[in-house]
Amino acid sequence: MIVAERKPIEKVLEMIAPYKKVLVAGCYGCVTVCLAGGEKEVGILASQIRLARSKDGNPIEVVEQTVERQCDAEYLAKFQDNVSSVEAVVSLACGIGIQYLAEKSPVPVFPGVNTLFLGANLDVGKWAERCFACGDCVLDKTGGICPIARCSKSLLNGPCGGSQYGKCEVSKDVDCGWQLIYDRLKALGQLDKLKEIIPAKNWKRDKGPRTLVREELTLERD
Amino acid sequence: MAKNNKNIRIGIYLCDCDGKISKNIDLEKVKTVIQSEADFEYIRITSALCGKIEKEKLAGEIDKYSLNRLLIAGCTDQFIRRQFLQVAEEKGMTRYDVEFVDLSSVQDGSEGAVAVINSVLAKIQLRGEIVIEEIEVTPQVLVIGCGKEGAKAALAIAKNQPVVMVEGDPGVADGIPLVKGAPNISIKAGARVAGIEGFAGNFTVRFIENGQLVKQKFGAVVVALEAQPVYDKSKYGGLELGEHVLTLSQFLAREKSFSGQKVTFVLGKADADSLLSYAKTLEAAIDLKEKGAAEVNILYEDMKVSADQLEQNYEIARAKGVNFLKYVGEIEFYSTVIAATVQYREPFLTQLDPLRITSDYLVLAEDYVPSPETKELADALEIRLGPAGFFQDDNVHFLPVKSNREGIYFVGSCHGPIHGVEIDREVATVVAEVGRFASGKVKVPALQPRVDPEKCAVCLTCYRTCPHKAIEIVHDESLNNLYHSAARMNPLACRRCGTCAAECPGKAIQLPYYSDQEILQEISKPPKIVAYACENSGFLASEYAKELDPELQENLQIVRVPCSGKIDVIYLLKALERGADGVMLLVCHKENCKFVWGNERAEKRKGQVRKLLKDIGLEEERIDFVHIAANQGNQFNAAVRAMAERIHQLGTNAGKVIK
Ligand code: SF4
Ligand code: SF4
Ligand code: SF4
Ligand code: SF4
Repeated sequence: MIVAERKPIEKVLEMIAPYKKVLVAGCYGCVTVCLAGGEKEVGILASQIRLARSKDGNPIEVVEQTVERQCDAEYLAKFQDNVSSVEAVVSLACGIGIQYLAEKSPVPVFPGVNTLFLGANLDVGKWAERCFACGDCVLDKTGGICPIARCSKSLLNGPCGGSQYGKCEVSKDVDCGWQLIYDRLKALGQLDKLKEIIPAKNWKRDKGPRTLVREELTLERD
Repeated sequence: MAKNNKNIRIGIYLCDCDGKISKNIDLEKVKTVIQSEADFEYIRITSALCGKIEKEKLAGEIDKYSLNRLLIAGCTDQFIRRQFLQVAEEKGMTRYDVEFVDLSSVQDGSEGAVAVINSVLAKIQLRGEIVIEEIEVTPQVLVIGCGKEGAKAALAIAKNQPVVMVEGDPGVADGIPLVKGAPNISIKAGARVAGIEGFAGNFTVRFIENGQLVKQKFGAVVVALEAQPVYDKSKYGGLELGEHVLTLSQFLAREKSFSGQKVTFVLGKADADSLLSYAKTLEAAIDLKEKGAAEVNILYEDMKVSADQLEQNYEIARAKGVNFLKYVGEIEFYSTVIAATVQYREPFLTQLDPLRITSDYLVLAEDYVPSPETKELADALEIRLGPAGFFQDDNVHFLPVKSNREGIYFVGSCHGPIHGVEIDREVATVVAEVGRFASGKVKVPALQPRVDPEKCAVCLTCYRTCPHKAIEIVHDESLNNLYHSAARMNPLACRRCGTCAAECPGKAIQLPYYSDQEILQEISKPPKIVAYACENSGFLASEYAKELDPELQENLQIVRVPCSGKIDVIYLLKALERGADGVMLLVCHKENCKFVWGNERAEKRKGQVRKLLKDIGLEEERIDFVHIAANQGNQFNAAVRAMAERIHQLGTNAGKVIK
């Protein structure tokens, strides 16, 4: 899942300073699950904006709306009415949703969250990064632990010299990703996998921004 | 007014409270206006509804007009209100079906009275009907632990419904002989509980039995693992056990007769927190005397007899000639191959040399610790442990036999060393509790929170934050969202705290009678202070506080919530947005939330909102958080006064949107 966190309110207030009527747009997808941009967070941000602007003697009208996913045009269409009645939008979806909404919106769309990483929800209020979306997964070789996401330096072939007592030199609170990989492979009896050199990645970006088109699925006719 | 819902039949009583109300309000006029506008079955003015005959009349009218909702306007007395509730409950209503309107504090006379009555009538209509669900349940009960305590519970429960007992170590389980061959009881020996699924009435328990995973269905689970005695010699000057030095439990397991022998018990050095060693010692001493022991001494520091039967047993023991000897400070112990001696100081005759008693047997009290299986079982059943590793939180709101999950109960020393009569009482309570499932069907009012599947992102937040494990994620094609899945609250497991509703990031959950709409409606035009008060503490304190200082109420609005865990971040912000100058959260004392951790969740939300305010330059002191108990009316008023004073210093809330 995509993990995001609310942007500091000063930033949001700065972005919308010139406007008198804005929409706070939520998403029932990943950002609801990571408690950053669902209907509840929309309500909180809207309320905070109103209080702040009233306090500054510059009242603002804030409209609230949340849709299923901001990364699909059909759901974005539900914003149509509100978007055309406001001067700007603050989107609480992840960076993907914010951009997609911005593409469709006649008025400026601003980010209300910082999109952080692709991660797992460890418990209420706790998330951890697990994948970098590198485009060429190597988890088969590394015991199911991602060297790019879990090694602070994203090394592909074993730890650096900073690995000590299982911890990373970046911080003693951070596990060394390669120690985790080693321990896991050992437990699986697959240490020999470490002998294989993983070649450098091209991140599938040699043709520019990544897209995925599956001809067998698209609606286009030949 | 159009008829709203023909199944909601409201009776309205306008009570003059012995002439107090009609000083400012013309009740006849109120009645006429309401009659012309509102939707109800029956309306009547009475001079004092609290009279005995009036209450009988009320009961009769409920039957005659098939009333299922009451609106009683006038009375403010909590005690009398409770009496009306009782009448209503006897007639099959719930406490949510009776609404009270305080007419003594209404402003604008008759018109004001009509307005509040109408708003309450609207609320009743908004709430709609209560659906009674009939749920099929499993009558069979699982009792975990085959000691004497488990056997006692099993025998009592088996009179009404089948019981399965499980015991990991049948060799030492002294309750097995007691239940062998008893009807309705079967024993799973050598098995252990590995996990549990489902809810009260329909649990599926996973056992590991002979290395195999076995699943079985139960309506309820009773935990009866017994506390275990341990001898800590450091409490007895390093004294080793032996022929003449026994622990209390060794002594109780005795087979030989002590006729003609001298026995001395020592109490007070171990088992500091319970009465169990006192209870057992008194019983043993009486028994010894009856069986012809030559001398029985009980050496004690404080004779703890503050429980049922202990006081009586103390008297009996005295009458039978047991010697009670009080000591102070340290005791010295000596044991030889033929006898054991204690040397102690008498507290009153301090000039005396230390006293010595030599007896054939010295019997020493032990400490009690939880059974070693406790932690693992708590994890398997997903229930909480409390102080010293025993089951159950140390919380005055909790019934002794209830766990944090409906359908899972405790009996006996698994939740702390308890004894005889107390255990009998617990067994009786548990028999009644599990008896609900005996017929295979249970009727419950479906008052659990509802989830709007269109808004549910199946994020698991509610599932993880429910203190009672009352939520499941269900998959059903009819659920109208991307996942065809949504959270669902179980009506038998849910205790209606509302924590889930306040935590849900999709605002998908609404608790009947405390929906966001209902709560926010109450603060549509808030006065200076809005106080969200838990109905188990702050709200009760506020009722009492009202009587102590009626004037303080003027700038205060109390909003009742089922638990402070229901106080949503949005409620706090909305109160400020709509013009309140200060918002208070009145919550139960620490570790004393009726719903386990509602007050902790509320405290975190207070922190969150304070930060939200601080970040935009508003004073965080506008949010106040007070731990309070139901009887602390004075403290309630003191907190309100402090808030009023703070607001006075801060000035009006500059953030209010409706100025
Ligand atoms: S817009 Fe972003 S947050 Fe919302 S569903 Fe799509 S990916 Fe997830
Ligand atoms: S290797 Fe790591 S970053 Fe790349 S796809 Fe696999 S998990 Fe994601
Ligand atoms: S917290 Fe809300 S969104 Fe999350 S699973 Fe529960 S009901 Fe669904
Ligand atoms: S109301 Fe309380 S007990 Fe019921 S499901 Fe929600 S959190 Fe659990």
